[in-house]
Amino acid sequence: MVASAPLWSALLVPVVLLGFTVAALAVDAMLAARVAGRRMSVAVALGPLAEVPRLLVGQRRTTRAPDALLWRLGLLTVPVAGVLAAVVIPFGHVTASRMDVGVVWFNAMEVLTWAGLWMAGWGPNSALSMVGGYRFVAQGLAYELPLMFALIATATGAQSLSVADIVAAQTQLWFAAWMPVAFVVYLASVYAFSFLGPFDYPAGRDLAGGVLGELSGIDRLVVRAGQWLLLTAGAAMSVPLFLGGGNGPLLPAWLWSTVKTLAVLGVLVWGRRRLPTIRADRYVEAAWVVLIPLTIAQVFVPALVVLRR
Amino acid sequence: MDLTEVLLRGGASRPHVLIATMPGGTAVRLAVEEGVRRRGWPVAMTPADADVLFVAGRVTVDFDELLEEVWRGMPAPRDRVHTVDPDEVSGLLGIARSGLMDRTRQQSLAALSMGDTDRLQRQGKPHGATASEETKPDPADLDHASDESSDHDGHGHDMGGMEMPAGLPMADRAEDRDGLKLDQLHVPFGPIMPDWPTGLVVHLTLQGDVIQDSHIEAIGAGAGSFWTEPWQRSAVGERVSTAEGARRRAGARLDSLGRFLAVAGWDDAATMARRLRDDALGGTQGPQLKAGLERLSRRVARSRTLGLLTRGLGEMTADEPIPASVSSRAPRLEGDVVHRYRRWCTDLTDMVARLDDGSPLDAATLEPPRNPLDVGDEPSASLFDVLPRLLDGAELGSARLIVASVDPDLDQRPARIQASHGR
Repeated sequence: MVASAPLWSALLVPVVLLGFTVAALAVDAMLAARVAGRRMSVAVALGPLAEVPRLLVGQRRTTRAPDALLWRLGLLTVPVAGVLAAVVIPFGHVTASRMDVGVVWFNAMEVLTWAGLWMAGWGPNSALSMVGGYRFVAQGLAYELPLMFALIATATGAQSLSVADIVAAQTQLWFAAWMPVAFVVYLASVYAFSFLGPFDYPAGRDLAGGVLGELSGIDRLVVRAGQWLLLTAGAAMSVPLFLGGGNGPLLPAWLWSTVKTLAVLGVLVWGRRRLPTIRADRYVEAAWVVLIPLTIAQVFVPALVVLRR
Repeated sequence: MDLTEVLLRGGASRPHVLIATMPGGTAVRLAVEEGVRRRGWPVAMTPADADVLFVAGRVTVDFDELLEEVWRGMPAPRDRVHTVDPDEVSGLLGIARSGLMDRTRQQSLAALSMGDTDRLQRQGKPHGATASEETKPDPADLDHASDESSDHDGHGHDMGGMEMPAGLPMADRAEDRDGLKLDQLHVPFGPIMPDWPTGLVVHLTLQGDVIQDSHIEAIGAGAGSFWTEPWQRSAVGERVSTAEGARRRAGARLDSLGRFLAVAGWDDAATMARRLRDDALGGTQGPQLKAGLERLSRRVARSRTLGLLTRGLGEMTADEPIPASVSSRAPRLEGDVVHRYRRWCTDLTDMVARLDDGSPLDAATLEPPRNPLDVGDEPSASLFDVLPRLLDGAELGSARLIVASVDPDLDQRPARIQASHGR
């Protein structure tokens, strides 16, 4: 069963999260190298890490008449939200915070990025950044409700908002098996709240980088790292929510958690290259007309099962 | 070696390159794009994200100021290189990289605030002197520069005594399409931007995210197109093979597709298109290219997602009055964005059979990708007349998709600078 670890373990959360993020970046770099026709090597896989010294030593850029406080605060929100969201994710059978409302906490942290990106878009006083920020809000309107219903489906299935209880409810059958719609919608939402892959519309190429367009140096590092931390946190959270957490035969729980998290991350990193950017103006309609009814129907399944028990 | 040097070194292992293509600089641009891809270096989307400014092609007077502006916007460590010769590209990328690691040079660049460095560039240094140029700040000059800039930033006395933030003018207002008075925002797109036609500037007037008006400007157009060059040589009597023409035409389509796919946010497909383009132009044997070309064109043409996301954008109906400048042989434009990129895909598969054809090039059976030479018209110039009509009333999010689906080649335009208004 999932037990609460001592308080200091919260400090390990960013370390573990960062480890998984580096693995995701390495896989991503290798996939990119394959498409570009380059030979694989360790140096290629670790290529994205060169961004760290590059941006650490890089000058910070500023724009004319920016709202500096709002801007920096917004940028900082992205990685902070990623790390805080990960606090409730159990790793094996231990968790940094065995909060009663873990699912709500995770959802709330992810929603922080709404404010964060909007502020980051507004701050630099640049038209394209601002449009990028607004795009994230539009994207949020599309993905947030389906995501919430997907989360509610798991909570209903376990009759609890605690992540530990949700893991416990999956000892016989993973939620992914009988809530496939919720699982898929959840995974798509991970792209959406980390604005990566098909949901990179707020930072789209058609806006010359949108919300990221005016960033350089440490500011850029903070947001880019935050994006990948959010993606990793989202992938890691899918394990307790849908894939039975650390439960599994033979291997120890922490290893199961690692394997499952890496598998989901691998799928997400691979999948992000398969599709063009999904434009929010087209997606909102599909989300409201198709995804919301579908996810509501999905919530009915665990609701009926729980009632009959 | 201290920490700064370690960081400079680490950062320079994968610099981001911003390519500024000058009119007629397509061959150099292709070499830079290929070199950067082979090294695994990212292409920068904006000056803020760029470490190296690569100026491809001969710099014209019109671009001087624009390049300075881009250079000013780039954070240190940074470097800039320039060439007119595609063969020099590989060496220059290496030079730029070592320039980024040169601590003294980078510190002198960083010592200047990002607004002041342009003065140094103007002082007798020829443009695009390669990375070895040494720049040292001149204190006297710097003082002068900051005086000047503080004048600029002074609160606007000409605004009728009203205090404007940073001296910026207020947005003006006008009636939108529903007759409501809304703020107008003027946003220019281009000319130095990746995945964008060389020399094109589109001045957009936005209300909300709807383009109310677009105004098009061409900078330094008509320098001679890279894509029609085999036909030009053939026209003056040189022996040119069909294979060369077919490869150039396939290359043009792949280049356009690469831009379009990149703008659509499908990086993998864009990279694939560019890789095939480099292979086709580089002389890879036809049978080896065949599978790749067919796979790409099938994958793009059949993608339901891409179709759904771009359907109905930039629609041109066949019965719409076509400007007199568009000849019957001009590239067909009817339909929406989807029709246009699918047409490129079909054309690609048509080229496959001719990639190794040694017979002499005949412009009647194999037309150049853009401009039929024997008639005196300029299809890209006419596309240029069409563009504002497609943009007006569109949403900002679709503007670049529309431009990329038309992909005008301004190098083909007659040299006179012409501006045109929508509607």
